[in-house]
Amino acid sequence: MTTVLAPVEGAAVGLAAVPDPVFSAGMVGPGTAIDPLRGPGKAVAPIAGKIMKLHPHAYVIVGDDGKGVLVHLGIDTVQLKGKGFQLLAAEGDRVSAGQPVVAWDPAAIEAGGRSPVCPVVALDALSEAVTRVAEGAVHVGDELFRWE
Amino acid sequence: MGERKVTVAAEVGLHARPAATFVQRAMKAPMDITVAKMNSAKAPVSGKSILAIMALDVRQGETVVISAEGEGSEELLDELAEIAGTP
Repeated sequence: MTTVLAPVEGAAVGLAAVPDPVFSAGMVGPGTAIDPLRGPGKAVAPIAGKIMKLHPHAYVIVGDDGKGVLVHLGIDTVQLKGKGFQLLAAEGDRVSAGQPVVAWDPAAIEAGGRSPVCPVVALDALSEAVTRVAEGAVHVGDELFRWE
Repeated sequence: MGERKVTVAAEVGLHARPAATFVQRAMKAPMDITVAKMNSAKAPVSGKSILAIMALDVRQGETVVISAEGEGSEELLDELAEIAGTP
């Protein structure tokens, strides 16, 4: 069982609230999404493991058991080409759960006309494998969901 | 064994949206599907694992070889090649 932590502070709103059908339909995988607190913040690793992929706007951490969790910082943020994001770790690094990975500002993303909502997804997981999904206010490092 | 060589056109490479669309289609097929990156030492991965596809780290402009065999594999490969080649 893997406990997945909230990578950002805000409100857990569920994947259905993500304004991108690839996430809202669960095509990437099950999980939830956080509508982040507006203002500068640091997005952290939701699980302990290795940073398998690190884009400025998204990252995947793979735990020792092979489970991969994707954190996507905002929607269509790939178009920003890294502007407004600061990497605090490097691809291939081992991180502990809760360790800062990317600094960003959801308010700036929103001001640019994009949704800052953050999908947090269990890759290759069956939807029933994700349980105890948090709803409402979450702080960084709070338990967000469990991956059985 | 049928195969298709496709140059990945999406700006993000074979990640997020294109990867999810690809795997969604691959999951509906009964047979094994593999994806390999051309001119790469990385071993072919399952086309049904979004994590494995993301780990393959295919970027825009890079070419992948998609392989499958069995009944319906030609149509399947055509569809997967179209997804991978969509900008």
